[in-house]
Amino acid sequence: MLVFANPMFLWALTAAAIPLMLHMFQRRKTVVTPFPTLRFLKAAQKRSSSRIKFENFILWLLRTLLLLMIGFAFALPVLRTTSGGSWLTRTRRDVAIVLDASYSMNYELDRGKVWDICKEAAAGVIEGLLSGDRVCVYVAGDTPVPVIEKPTTEHATVTQAIRALTCQPSSSKLDETVALALRSLEQQEGRREREIYIMTDGQAVPWQGFREAAKKEEKAAGDDKAKISREQRDKVSFFALLAGAQQPDNACPSDVKVTPTLLLAGQSARLNVRVGRTGPAKQITVAVEVDGQERGRRGITTEADTESSLEFAIGGLEPGVHVAKISTPQDALPVDDEFLFLLRVRKQLPVLIAGPQEATRYLKAALAPGAADDSVKQIDAAELATVDLRDYQALFLCDAFPLPGQSTLRIEEYAKTGGVVIVFPGDRADIAAYAEMKILPAQPKGTEEVPVEQAARQLKRIPNQKDQVVNFNLSLPPGTVPTVALKRVLTFGELQENAAVLVTAGDGVPFMTGRAVGRGRVFMFSIAANRDWSTFPLTAFFVPVVHQLIRQGAGASVQPPHLVQGSNIPVNEAIPNYREDDVISAPSGAQLSIKDNGNRTFFIENLTEPGIYTRAKAGAAQPEPVMAVNTDRFESRLAPVTPQELTEWTGFKKFLTAKDPEELKRLIDEYRNGRSLAEIFLWIALLLSLLEWWVANRALRTRTGATEKLTVDLAGKVITS
Amino acid sequence: MSDEGIGSYLNPAQMAKLNRLALNSRYVVEGTLAGRHRSAQKGASTEFADHRSYMPGDDLKRIDWKVLGRTDKYYVRRYQDETNLRVYLLIDRSGSMNYSSGEHKTKFTYACTLAAALGYVVLKARDAVGMYIYGEKMDAALPCKNSFNELNNALKILKGYKPAKGTAGADVMHQIAESINRRALVVIISDLLDDQPEIIKAIAHFRKNLHDVIVFHTLDPVELSLEIKRGAEFEDLETGERMIADPRSMAKEYKDLMGTFIEDYRKACSEMKVDYRLVKTDEPVDTFVRAYLEERKRLSR
Repeated sequence: MLVFANPMFLWALTAAAIPLMLHMFQRRKTVVTPFPTLRFLKAAQKRSSSRIKFENFILWLLRTLLLLMIGFAFALPVLRTTSGGSWLTRTRRDVAIVLDASYSMNYELDRGKVWDICKEAAAGVIEGLLSGDRVCVYVAGDTPVPVIEKPTTEHATVTQAIRALTCQPSSSKLDETVALALRSLEQQEGRREREIYIMTDGQAVPWQGFREAAKKEEKAAGDDKAKISREQRDKVSFFALLAGAQQPDNACPSDVKVTPTLLLAGQSARLNVRVGRTGPAKQITVAVEVDGQERGRRGITTEADTESSLEFAIGGLEPGVHVAKISTPQDALPVDDEFLFLLRVRKQLPVLIAGPQEATRYLKAALAPGAADDSVKQIDAAELATVDLRDYQALFLCDAFPLPGQSTLRIEEYAKTGGVVIVFPGDRADIAAYAEMKILPAQPKGTEEVPVEQAARQLKRIPNQKDQVVNFNLSLPPGTVPTVALKRVLTFGELQENAAVLVTAGDGVPFMTGRAVGRGRVFMFSIAANRDWSTFPLTAFFVPVVHQLIRQGAGASVQPPHLVQGSNIPVNEAIPNYREDDVISAPSGAQLSIKDNGNRTFFIENLTEPGIYTRAKAGAAQPEPVMAVNTDRFESRLAPVTPQELTEWTGFKKFLTAKDPEELKRLIDEYRNGRSLAEIFLWIALLLSLLEWWVANRALRTRTGATEKLTVDLAGKVITS
Repeated sequence: MSDEGIGSYLNPAQMAKLNRLALNSRYVVEGTLAGRHRSAQKGASTEFADHRSYMPGDDLKRIDWKVLGRTDKYYVRRYQDETNLRVYLLIDRSGSMNYSSGEHKTKFTYACTLAAALGYVVLKARDAVGMYIYGEKMDAALPCKNSFNELNNALKILKGYKPAKGTAGADVMHQIAESINRRALVVIISDLLDDQPEIIKAIAHFRKNLHDVIVFHTLDPVELSLEIKRGAEFEDLETGERMIADPRSMAKEYKDLMGTFIEDYRKACSEMKVDYRLVKTDEPVDTFVRAYLEERKRLSR
């Protein structure tokens, strides 16, 4: 097989047309020469034309071959052949090894883990290098990891580093890693052959980047960091070891949904478990464990290469955070056989009511009918500045305005980080006092007295509109008619962003409005929380409405039961009630790095380790579980790719694939058993140039007849000498 | 000698080189004066020819008495007549004669010089020389005279001629052959670049009329070897036709063709007992004439 290390120079082969072009387009510089007669010239030209044509053809052929040889020589042709023996010596090369570290590499084959096979194959590649060949190593994880960043000739060190590698419980992006390895090779000085070896299990997912890049290229050239130029694809030789199972068999729990999202003590949790299957249809037993105790086990018949779901109901959960686990029977890929999540069960929802006694009396009675219930706390609005709002699920502001500026800011931050704020107006505040609070669904415009004859109003829930962020489902006791008598109502201006009128009193008069603010919710009524403005606190549906508001808001802001690995994750979306002095530990015990982006918004930098993360609160005896992190399960969908698909997706010109290390070794031997033919081509070019010089001068000698003269002796005889 | 006549072609040194030479005819000729050439007539020379029967009126001095004594019959003795040589120079002034490869004279100039030299030699031997000049037609016919003045005048006339455009060599030669009514020596100075069979027929016409014929085939050296180094657009001096050719690439074939052309003339002349000589314009005229005449003298012994 003849390949070209510098194929750009193949364009120079067009120079072979130069002799022909010169011949065709040369302008003859002729001088008019008088001559006695043209009869002999014409006859001579006729006779010599075939000879001249032949000589010209030979010269053209030699010159064209000469230029072709030079063009080929600069294109650095390399002959790959198994024949030729020692005559075909090897050339120097720079090699990059890319190891796919996705968790599917943990697949157990008869002869061991795919990961271990690939590592040994990589070591074998290095072993086959000659002294002076350089090698670098990259690991393809969620992000490319340079193990040996710059190519080095220390082969033993590189082999040692490869053998020390461990497979990462993550997915992998081969395209970005290959691009990085290519850049590393290109930064090396000297013109050498470049080879990249990709050691992978041959599943489709890590190659998706190439496929998407190819699609992007079809549409428009983008500045992608994983972009590999056409020239790179043509110049570098790529080898791939697709060491994974050709017909993989795997089953894993891929997702679980917990309903209700806000679990209170005494409620049953419903688990909707999705089970992914690669391989033929199979009966699988799925088990659920909570706090190490098996709480359920069910069998499911999965269809071939598809995802199935089944449900579990878990009751009798005590208040607290419970570590739960879905597991499937151990198979060839054990790393994805368990799926962790947390069940956060709350005893009750702590509520803070801010406002004067007379304005909050009915509300407190509705939320905490028992005098001993400490889940509801009532304070004066002035005390808001001293209370940590993060300890409460909901905050009621009853005739609490005007508020100090600091309190307003804290309430706004509380809402944005997931808190529920419910506002009841009152007589104490004038309209301007509401203007400071920027999170209200709509700014009040004033109050309106309702005539007695129009006082009776039926409450009407406004159906949720499309794209409405905040929703409310008014669930009332059966047989009740939601009617209130209004004395005074607050009128509103235009609705703010992400706000909606949720309930009206009569036709078009807003009764309750809501707004989504950050991860929290803000609800505002147009009537006060006591009897001064309406009969609402006396109605049968006052208690259900406020309870639903609290629970709905709490459900909206609750943290998910499980997370997947990732980076730059907002803390509030992952950890409930995070405080700066909290110490979050990874399953391995390492402290999780949480950064402030500058405006007191905290981010988890990297969430790479699957497992249960714990939080050690200051003064708490035992750390509590705060996050359950799982590996994204799309690597569990094992779909082997074919070499043809890979060639199509990657666009690599020189791309050789092997199914096992032995085949890879054979391919490498065949590929490397070659030599650059550039030197030979140049020698041929030299010989051709000498031959051309000789032929051209021989033709000239024949033509000029400089030494051959026609003479006449004294007898008048013609003598040719 | 006048500088306008023979002096314009030959300098004194050249003429001195030609002084003792003679152009002899290989055959009997018919002159007008007594000379040293054998005549077709029987005359009063000392060389016995034959006997014939006496006829009334014959001079009694010519009766061979010895024969009368032996045979009792009257025979008279006859002697070989000797006359002078009449030489006709035929000078070709066709367009092709205007060629010169640069370093040498044009073929026409060379032919004129050759004619002057031959005329000088002929007159020195007290023979007569005439001249025919032709191109596309007969341009001048100067009768045979035994006078240097006449030769000078003829050469002056020749000097006034320039090469013509075309050629009609064969026709004119036939015409000349018809016009020369006594046996003479005809010298043709031409490049003979005409229809070869017709030219040969015309030469044969001279021989048929019992003239002694010498052909000086006058050619430029470059015409023979085609030693032209650059490609050129050649223009035919007679027809004006042009062609582009690379002389280097066709020199071999050209020389073959030219050699065949010359050989054909030489062979034809040999068969007709015509003295054929190829003359190259790079040879000095006096040297060539001297060499030729001495060679001719040696061969005629």
